[in-house]
Amino acid sequence: MFSFQSNPNASPDVPPLPLTIQSSLFKRRAQSKETGLDKDDADYDTLPNDNEEDISNSSLYLDSAVYMVRSELEQKLVMQKLDAAHQYQQRYGVTSGMSLENMLCSRCGDGFEPHEKIVNSTGELWHQTCFVCAQCFQEFRDGIFYEFEGRKYCEHDFHVLFAPCCGKCGEFIIGRVIKAMNANWHVKCFLCDMCKKELADTGFIRNAGRALCHECNAKVKADKLGKYVCHKCHGIIDDQPLRFRGEVYHPYHFNCTNCGVELDANAREVRSRPGYAANDMNELYCLRCHDKMGIPICGACRRPIEERVVTALGKHWHVEHFVCAKCEKPFFGHRHYEKKGLAYCETHYHQLFGNLCFVCNQVIAGDVFTAMNKAWCVHHFACSVCDQKMNQKTKFYEYDLKPVCKKCYEKFPQELRRRLRRQHEATPRKSPS
Amino acid sequence: MNQTPVSCIPNSSKMSKAKKVLEEAKEIKNPELDLSDKGISSFEEMPGLLNMLNITRLTLSHNKIKSIPPGLANLTNLEILNLANNHLEEIPVSLSSMPKLRILNLQINRLDSLPRGFGAFPVIEVLDLTYNNLNENTLPGNFFMMETLRALYLGDNDFEHISSDIKNLKNLQILVLRENDLIDLPKEIGELQRLRELHIQGNRLTIIPPEIGNLDMSSNKSVFKFEGNEWVTPIADQLQLGITHLMEYLRTETYRIMYHRYMTSQKPEVPPPCIDKAKKISRNR
Ligand SMILES: [Zn+2]
Ligand SMILES: [Zn+2]
Ligand SMILES: [Zn+2]
Ligand SMILES: [Zn+2]
Ligand SMILES: [Zn+2]
Ligand SMILES: [Zn+2]
Ligand SMILES: [Zn+2]
Ligand SMILES: [Zn+2]
Repeated sequence: MFSFQSNPNASPDVPPLPLTIQSSLFKRRAQSKETGLDKDDADYDTLPNDNEEDISNSSLYLDSAVYMVRSELEQKLVMQKLDAAHQYQQRYGVTSGMSLENMLCSRCGDGFEPHEKIVNSTGELWHQTCFVCAQCFQEFRDGIFYEFEGRKYCEHDFHVLFAPCCGKCGEFIIGRVIKAMNANWHVKCFLCDMCKKELADTGFIRNAGRALCHECNAKVKADKLGKYVCHKCHGIIDDQPLRFRGEVYHPYHFNCTNCGVELDANAREVRSRPGYAANDMNELYCLRCHDKMGIPICGACRRPIEERVVTALGKHWHVEHFVCAKCEKPFFGHRHYEKKGLAYCETHYHQLFGNLCFVCNQVIAGDVFTAMNKAWCVHHFACSVCDQKMNQKTKFYEYDLKPVCKKCYEKFPQELRRRLRRQHEATPRKSPS
Repeated sequence: MNQTPVSCIPNSSKMSKAKKVLEEAKEIKNPELDLSDKGISSFEEMPGLLNMLNITRLTLSHNKIKSIPPGLANLTNLEILNLANNHLEEIPVSLSSMPKLRILNLQINRLDSLPRGFGAFPVIEVLDLTYNNLNENTLPGNFFMMETLRALYLGDNDFEHISSDIKNLKNLQILVLRENDLIDLPKEIGELQRLRELHIQGNRLTIIPPEIGNLDMSSNKSVFKFEGNEWVTPIADQLQLGITHLMEYLRTETYRIMYHRYMTSQKPEVPPPCIDKAKKISRNR
């Protein structure tokens, strides 16, 4: 049985450290530590300088933008938990008969004393004093070491010398290194700037100095163009979007539930369980199939009406879509006034057509008397003083833009008539028809 | 009533004129009662009138009625009450509780004041108070609370000022203030979005609040009467060019600044009253 013993006389013949400082990897790390991660470095060959405003010019996809640790390095980054005794047992227990004279230390090339403790690692043997970190000459803690270009390093020194730092958390990166946006990142630290999704396996797009996933980038792009992003393919919807179950889509992703035809933006979403608020039961139909189903269509939004239907102007309307043609406020059951195929609220009907009777304040259905900035229905065109009905032939005076019959005018106080005459306001005129 | 064909009672012709109309109306159940120019001086001459609960219009213009019995308010179906050109010196507040009264014509009377609580009409739309002796001090506090008013005629009265409460008349389309003694206008008139007739001619006005520029007074659906005031030169100049020019001018920053100056340091002199109101028959007692 062997046991490890320290050998105080072991004078390891360690070759001077090859100038690891020249290693481009080290250099990169050192520089980025000094100058910040965004510093452009000639050694970085990964990302072209993108025009931050023009997204399409700077679109970079994963294959070219996310870098793994160089493969030669990665293969050598064999993290090992060394159980020397076990290894030795395994090896020499099985390969019995192997003589001690044939065994030489991998580092110093000397042989081993009969009772000396021997370290076996990946098939090589070492004096215990030779099996140390190439940088600090200390034994490996817990037997863990890192190998690079044929030399072994303790965890600490390996990190210091070779491992990159994450641009987000600042910690050393072991394992997969994502090189992007002029920095190195842990897989878990390289995220979409908007939705915080990991980008390592999906790729990313550089947009105005930010790394975005394809979906978010499309959203940003669509927002800029005032367009929608398809919920299915995440592409921008250039033409009319199709709304379905609360999302927007390219219509061509769907087919009519009934006839199977590829849909366009005129497709209709139909509540298959009328009255249910949730829309996850809704289905899509092409316009032709939908019209055959006999669901009333709103004259304003051209969509089916599943709740209360208002029927007016020879069409059906959503209650909230039957609105005044002028102010666009819904009537909600209030009186509306129709003119030339359009509906108006009282105020705007009057404002536009002036056809509310001054006396009864109702829309004038038949003949209209208009005069003095007002209108009257046939029943109410009358003298404003005696209430006697007047007609087209009746002569009347105008007094504060009210009609006054001749008889009444003559009963006015003299001084008032004199004033009115002086003002040239009271000119007798014939009522218009 | 036994209306004998031959009446030999003298002096009854005047009485019977009104009575006859009443009888006829009762017979044919006409809800519109015309008692214009019947020489009536008192409601007592119209027996049974206050029981004609079905009537919707009562026209009593060109009579000599001095006062109205509060019981008139019992005619709860009345929509139009016309008392134009009478001798009314006061009216009962009960009228303002009439549930269907939409049009009340009190023009050419002798009203010096309106009773407290007058503004309580629930559905009043047209109120004609032209040619009386009213002014801002004799209006009741709730006068401008008649939100349903479409038209308010206050021409030929004695107003020097109009309360800013006028802004409450949200449905007002017609406002006549012709030939009062107005010295200024409340800027709140500019809030009356539906106003399409504004008569302020024959007053003592010199400047117009810039807010009036918010009104749509230049459309062909609107009438703005402004003559016979002592407008300051910039306003007079714009009026020469037309209403549209005036309304645009009122909205300019230039005018806003000028108006402020007129209101503070450069107050224009108040013109004297322009008409001799002593001759108005509304002053007769
Ligand atoms: Zn070390
Ligand atoms: Zn994202
Ligand atoms: Zn799509
Ligand atoms: Zn179909
Ligand atoms: Zn609709
Ligand atoms: Zn409207
Ligand atoms: Zn009418
Ligand atoms: Zn008349």
